[in-house]
Amino acid sequence: MSAKCSGAVPGAETDKQPAPGTAPLQGRGIRAGYDATDVLHGIDFALHAGEVLGVVGPNGCGKSTLLRAVTGLIPLRGGEVILGGERLENLPAMERARRCAVQPQVELPLFDYTVGQFVLLGRHPHRAPLALATEEDRAAVSRALSETDLNGFRERSIRALSTGEWQRALMARTLVQETPVLLLDEPAAHLDPGHRFAVHVLLRSLARERQRAVLCVSHDLNLAAEFCDRLMMLASGRVRALGRPEEVLTAANMQAVFQCDALRVAPNPFTGRPGTVFVP
Amino acid sequence: MNTALRLGILGGAALVLLVAAVCIGPTQLLDVPRLLELMQSGPVTPELQRAQLVLWELRLPRVLLAAAAGVNLAVGGLLLQAIFRNPLAEPYLLGLSSGGALGAVLALSAGATAVTWPALTGSLLIAGIVLLLCRRRIAADLPSLLLVGVALGALAQAFTTVIILRFDPGALRSILFWLMGSFAGRGWSEVWLLGPAALLGIVIVCLLHRPLDLIALGGESAHHLGVRVGLLQTGGIALAAVLAALTVAACGTVGFVGLMAPHLARRLTAAPHGISIPATALVGAMLTVGADLAARTVLAGTELPVGAVTGVFGCLFFLALLAKRP
Repeated sequence: MSAKCSGAVPGAETDKQPAPGTAPLQGRGIRAGYDATDVLHGIDFALHAGEVLGVVGPNGCGKSTLLRAVTGLIPLRGGEVILGGERLENLPAMERARRCAVQPQVELPLFDYTVGQFVLLGRHPHRAPLALATEEDRAAVSRALSETDLNGFRERSIRALSTGEWQRALMARTLVQETPVLLLDEPAAHLDPGHRFAVHVLLRSLARERQRAVLCVSHDLNLAAEFCDRLMMLASGRVRALGRPEEVLTAANMQAVFQCDALRVAPNPFTGRPGTVFVP
Repeated sequence: MNTALRLGILGGAALVLLVAAVCIGPTQLLDVPRLLELMQSGPVTPELQRAQLVLWELRLPRVLLAAAAGVNLAVGGLLLQAIFRNPLAEPYLLGLSSGGALGAVLALSAGATAVTWPALTGSLLIAGIVLLLCRRRIAADLPSLLLVGVALGALAQAFTTVIILRFDPGALRSILFWLMGSFAGRGWSEVWLLGPAALLGIVIVCLLHRPLDLIALGGESAHHLGVRVGLLQTGGIALAAVLAALTVAACGTVGFVGLMAPHLARRLTAAPHGISIPATALVGAMLTVGADLAARTVLAGTELPVGAVTGVFGCLFFLALLAKRP
């Protein structure tokens, strides 16, 4: 079903999903913005364990603002966010960071950390103030480095990385947080096709095999359709559509949201999943 | 070479420099066998008395004060560089020291002799204005906050200049000398003020070493990793202001140390604050103790202001280090 933002219970679109009350991350009527401008005008969604939810939409539609709002980086102007069964504002900062990890868009590093030192910082929410890294911390770092194809980069300076490698290091730091909820803001934006594909495979396996709840903001509609269980299409701060990829990536939705005549919906000839092509 | 070893070598070098600074001066205290001989030879001789006096009342407090001032400025610089995510941030650039100097000079012009509280007030006032603006936009636009600090510092310096020009010529020279920074003529009371502040500063910053790593790498990421970014910014700026104010009150404005020490320490050891904090404290202490040693020995019979020495040597050292960068 192509759900317009309505009073209907969000997240209940597909029958295989658990009841929304158990979803590790829920947003109800989220309103947020900056200064005098409201960017989000009432967003309802639920992110379930074991699923990858893709968030798509044009520039400035509120995708990154939604990530900021559901993580408490900017105050809510209305609605509520429930993270792991508790209201976001009732969670202490460290507890929040043990429940939800966020991979931000690429930030430029100031000091000269090695990749290993940098990724280890992702363990911060699990460590006491002066504690040395435990065996568990080190194992998490090694696993994350290998999952992001950064084996052998441990002793490299983060300032010597290419943008794509740096983005993978950011992902590795997000992974070592080992949270039930993972939010990623265009995690594949700077990656080559091989790594872009690998990142999506990784996200799906995190959801399938480790029951993580994964939300991924993406501009790559083809990979999003291929790997996300559901898509949420935002337009002008509202949910335009929420459901299975084939329900969301319809010609009507695409035309209304992206307003680009050359962008056409065409299923992947090999998998049959919906996709897009440009017909100039 | 592993970082623990580097830190150890740095500590050893700092200790050697401290002992050397205590021993070197017009009254040589290096001749230990001679001193021991004097101590064992029954009645207390004037020579031994003089050596004891120089050691306990002049050299030791002076060197310890210089070390504590160096630690305070260095730790303040480290905090501000991480919080503002800016390699140029330090107590001077942010106007904290200038505010302290203005407070002290105002008090002196009103006839006061103790300048600790006025200096603290001046520094905290500047920090307060910066923080007030900081609270309104937490992670956004740190460069313009830094510029607010720079502007306030320039304002404080302008007022300071106007005020000191109103002193009579005799007082003017000593005020200028004080403003340029000096560890001469101070005693144990200043050591007891700055020393515990330095130790407390190191302890607090060590407890915050990972939040500082995280905030230095990005405000949003730090938030997502459980750091209370606004609180850390407020507390860090306030702590740097207190450390800078106490230092200005005790020894005037000694420049460049807060900027140089953290960079040098990171180059000599490693970037993570867990390692660079102790290294920064050691390098800061070495810079001020070394500069003070140079200030009182380079020109025989006269003393240079320490601030002038740190300025000259700091600049050269820094340029050399940057040139060496791969």
